Amino acid sequence: MNFELNEDQSALADSLTRLLADRYRFEKRRALVASGAPHDPQTWAALAQLGITALPLPEAHHGFGGGARDLLPVMHALGRALSLEPYLSCVVLAATAVRLGTDEAMKNRLLPGIARGESMLAFAHDEAEGRHAPFWIETRAKRQGERWVLSGAKSPVLGLGTAQHVVVTARVSGDPADADGCALFVIDRIAPGVTNREFRLVDDTAAGELRLDAAAAEPLADPTDSARTRAAIEGTLNAGVAAACADMWGATQAAFDLAMDYLRTRKQFGRPIGENQALRHRAAEMLVSLEMVRSMAMAAAVAADNVEGEDSRLDLHRAKISVARNARSVAHGAIQLHGGIGMTEEYAVGHSLRRIHVMDQLFGDADAHAARLAATNA
Amino acid sequence: MDLDLTAEQRSFRDEVRAFIQHRLPSEIRERLRAGHPPRKQDTVTWQRILNERGWAAPHWPKAYGGADLGQMERLILMDEMFRAPAPLPQMFNVVMLGPVLLKFGTPEQLNHFMPQLANLDVWFCQGFSEPGSGSDLASLRTSARREGESYIVNGQKIWTTTAHVADWVFALVRTSNEARKQEGISFLLIDLMTPGITIRPIFSIDGEHHLNEVFFDDVRVPVANLVGEENRGWDCAKYLLVNERTGIANVGLCRERLVHARELANRHSQAGKPLIEDAKLRAELATLEAEVRALEITNWRFLLTESEQRRLPAFASVLKLKGVELQQEINALLARIVGPSGLERRPSTDVEVGPITPRYFYSRAASIYGGTSEVQKDIVAKAIVG
Repeated sequence: MNFELNEDQSALADSLTRLLADRYRFEKRRALVASGAPHDPQTWAALAQLGITALPLPEAHHGFGGGARDLLPVMHALGRALSLEPYLSCVVLAATAVRLGTDEAMKNRLLPGIARGESMLAFAHDEAEGRHAPFWIETRAKRQGERWVLSGAKSPVLGLGTAQHVVVTARVSGDPADADGCALFVIDRIAPGVTNREFRLVDDTAAGELRLDAAAAEPLADPTDSARTRAAIEGTLNAGVAAACADMWGATQAAFDLAMDYLRTRKQFGRPIGENQALRHRAAEMLVSLEMVRSMAMAAAVAADNVEGEDSRLDLHRAKISVARNARSVAHGAIQLHGGIGMTEEYAVGHSLRRIHVMDQLFGDADAHAARLAATNA
Repeated sequence: MDLDLTAEQRSFRDEVRAFIQHRLPSEIRERLRAGHPPRKQDTVTWQRILNERGWAAPHWPKAYGGADLGQMERLILMDEMFRAPAPLPQMFNVVMLGPVLLKFGTPEQLNHFMPQLANLDVWFCQGFSEPGSGSDLASLRTSARREGESYIVNGQKIWTTTAHVADWVFALVRTSNEARKQEGISFLLIDLMTPGITIRPIFSIDGEHHLNEVFFDDVRVPVANLVGEENRGWDCAKYLLVNERTGIANVGLCRERLVHARELANRHSQAGKPLIEDAKLRAELATLEAEVRALEITNWRFLLTESEQRRLPAFASVLKLKGVELQQEINALLARIVGPSGLERRPSTDVEVGPITPRYFYSRAASIYGGTSEVQKDIVAKAIVG
């Protein structure tokens, strides 16, 4: 049993934290959002330079072959800075789907550009009607002569506007809820039959709705090999759960740190508010929750790296439940300890709650995972 | 980063599990599973079986009957006991007094008491709290006046768990009023058969007798029973209170009660349908299970990783706060699961339903003893706010 980062992981986390402290100071982040840009291309280039865009990609395709445990400190740092970079959508989700769902030739086409920070992919899987169901795919894939076309709607698609290509899950056969009968395709985002409606999520992350009307698509693998597709989708969602937990850990830490600073510096009735026992006790409860978040973000990373492990499947559910609940409770507390200022958009603490809420809603929320865990245990 | 046991740890776990399976008397297992506290004889019987293997006091040195086990092995042993469930070794003897004697005791005290503590030939209880001294322990007033080779003890202790079945008490007594209140306290071992001692029961809200008041009226205690130096008993008390962290989170207990909750939810039905089919209850069980896992990993993280302990020296309070919260939630859920069938007062021999509802009532004590949750929060706040 071991709970520490190795040297490479710590060194990378330190570099990334320094980079983000500079490029993602809260004021800079606000200006970025106000500019309407979906993310900061200079930060993305710097991430590529640090090797972070290559981190989880296979070594054969210009990556470093990192796993969820290597991504843990990275996602933590990105969450702590409330980063708007399309890292989760491109490097974690889309690249994982490609890594697990296609052959070497296609990987070689799609992955090296991501590693170098030159191209971006998005992953379009969720459909509004499915809510938190891991497999609800109404988008249909049809064969037309030699080619495949897709029709349907995917939303929200994280990082849609910045991606040149999108990996799309679509149904070849069966009903929307069937885990089988699905296949992975890649589409050109700007092509006939493809409509993008870009928007921002409540935490300012760029996302969008992808509408497909007989849009041309290239299968990532044999579309009838639904076992492989299923494994690729599951693997991608597991990576998403681990990354979301690590991101929430970072956002929770940020809210907690702001609140502790505020307790020490804000004065009312002639003394720091942190001398009041009611507030001190709230702070202690928040620390307990933060420690639970930290533990389960680790557990999720360990589980995603070895889904065959004894507790892995359970741990992914448990982590999403426990991290979301505890993270939310810290964010609520941090806003409360700030009073009015905590409610303002120009102050950072409330943005942690926005981030945590988005991350909770992605890849199945706490309630959905509780229901799945219950089904596993029954 | 990994959460795996090593091959040696796994084989140790299997060895412990097989040992318990083979040696734990089934009537003790059934009584505990039903939710009863172990009877005195249960604890004595089982601790003596464990003591044959050095597992009664696994963290003690081998020279005193322990097994010199490391932190992870101790956790495994404890988890397996809860899992069975089996009685834990008597805490006052093994977890509290033994380590204090190892650190502060005289060679005579060690030679005399250690083997008896491990084999449960003597049953100690803890005499710390007084009617006027709860969370503010150092304000205690029970006095010990030196008279030749004896102390004369006068005063009263309260909330003394198991005093009515105990042979001895280790007590904090005031030997000086001169300096700071912490500096006039001494740590005495007192034979409960000594004339002048009266023990009165306190029935708690579960209707049971766990707690007592202990009165001392000119009780003569040999000076040889002083542990550590006179007026330095606070050192012993502090050592005792902060030294023991292995069991503070009670992860195994939470897990065992959750397993039982699931079993009862399968057994009880409502309007012809097993309770376990209720979606809300299932989600609640799953959520508690997730939180117990979070506590378990946090427990491992702090107990096994020095850098984590340095980062957060108040970690023991974090573990106790969360452990207590979960124990209380789980016990409350159990009481809701047995529902109306848990309303009837049943004899202590009943293992059909067990004392699920009374145990829920008594679980409220967990946030009061061993440092209230409010005191724990004060400790944590001091560390993070200043």
